[in-house]
Amino acid sequence: MQVERIKFERTGGFAGMRIATDVKLHDLPDEQASRISELLDDLDFDELPEQLAGKDSLPDQFTYKITVETKKGEHTVVTGDASAPEKMQELLQLLNRLARTPKKQ
Amino acid sequence: MHKHSAVNCFIPPHILKNIATKGTESQKFLAISTLKTSEQMRGQRQALADFTTAAFRVAVGGKERVVYDAKNGSRLPGTVVRKEGDAPAADVAINEAYDGSGTTYDLFNDVYQRNSIDGNGMRLDSTVHYQVGYDNAFWDGEQMVYGDGDENLPVSERLFNRFTIALDVIGHELTHGVTQYEAKLMYSQQPGALNESMSDVFGSLVKQYKLQQTATEANWIIGQGLLSENVNGVGIRSMKAPGTAYDDPVLGKDPQPGHMKDYVNTIGDNGGVHINSGIPNRAFYVTAVELGGSAWEKAGQIWYVTLKDKLTASSKFQDCANMTYQVAGQLFGAGSIEQQAVQKGWTDVGLTVDGGGTTPPPDGGGCLEALLRLIGAAPAAKR
Repeated sequence: MQVERIKFERTGGFAGMRIATDVKLHDLPDEQASRISELLDDLDFDELPEQLAGKDSLPDQFTYKITVETKKGEHTVVTGDASAPEKMQELLQLLNRLARTPKKQ
Repeated sequence: MHKHSAVNCFIPPHILKNIATKGTESQKFLAISTLKTSEQMRGQRQALADFTTAAFRVAVGGKERVVYDAKNGSRLPGTVVRKEGDAPAADVAINEAYDGSGTTYDLFNDVYQRNSIDGNGMRLDSTVHYQVGYDNAFWDGEQMVYGDGDENLPVSERLFNRFTIALDVIGHELTHGVTQYEAKLMYSQQPGALNESMSDVFGSLVKQYKLQQTATEANWIIGQGLLSENVNGVGIRSMKAPGTAYDDPVLGKDPQPGHMKDYVNTIGDNGGVHINSGIPNRAFYVTAVELGGSAWEKAGQIWYVTLKDKLTASSKFQDCANMTYQVAGQLFGAGSIEQQAVQKGWTDVGLTVDGGGTTPPPDGGGCLEALLRLIGAAPAAKR
């Protein structure tokens, strides 16, 4: 999967705070970029259904929205904490951290 | 769950049950005969028979807590690390989850005569150390789950501490369980914001009950201690002054409104459930401060009965305003200072209560206080 860009948004949670990021992979350090590509391949991200969350929202859980852009187009997956596959945890943590990195104003 | 008739004056059965269980012999007699009369009027003899047996039976299945450790993974519930009656663990998060769920159990049991989340002694399960860098806590429909905050980041970048650190967060999560068994408020838009507000209300009351603070002594901050030293803020939400809990370069500003004119229309956060909850939160705060004393006693009782017997899955703010007003009238009398305090609470956030006319109930209302006075358990006369 030739990933070009990732858009990530986390909403909800006890604090109800939104965090988000929009990154081009070539702007990231090589090591981080290749790890993200690996994790997405591992997940077969483009095969995942668009909604991993159940129909009912669970109190205080986060909702994650991940959009991955490749040359072929883009694919978006929405998931909650409990509905995210265990294999997705590292990716979510990585993206959380990217979204949390203070931006240059 | 049954809905009480709005026209009959009633003393909530859970209060009668408490008197019948914990009162003196004459109080027990009075409580039982009061119940007998009203139940016969409703033709529910069987319900009475069940009740009288239950009232004198030693409660089976009281407080039972289990704390699990997810060991930074995402599988729930994880490994058992402390059970009811076990000595404290070496791990502070384990003990906070254990003690906090215990205090929450105590408030619901001692003050509202509710035996656990489901009213039937349900075991209180909590999992700590969920995932890595998980700055959140939630109720998954069966149990409470707590993350450790930003423990994986350098100290200078951390925004959150562990989520068990604040007792009201624990009370908040457990109350989501109570709501799931009672009003079943949908977790979206206004019903979702009411669901959130109920969790903040009883979360805050758990803390006030533990600290034995009056409504004016309490700071009404939700999640005090949760934000790290790097954040300019006192907590996650303020019930007293929604929108003022934090204002920080990284976290942004607390987005909560405290009045209907500032209601936030959004698709994020399930339609702003953690945002617009500021409105009903403030209505409760104003009501509690108007009444003074311990907020869990009168204001808390009105909100609890409303959650248990009145609200439904699709209830909105206006419904909650009308119902709390109605319940206040039933518990304390039409036109009572309690009912007026509820009215002021909602007026201050821009909602006019619709009490469904001004005719007092047939017996003039105030039957709870009348009964309490009769059995010598009434609080000192007000005003």
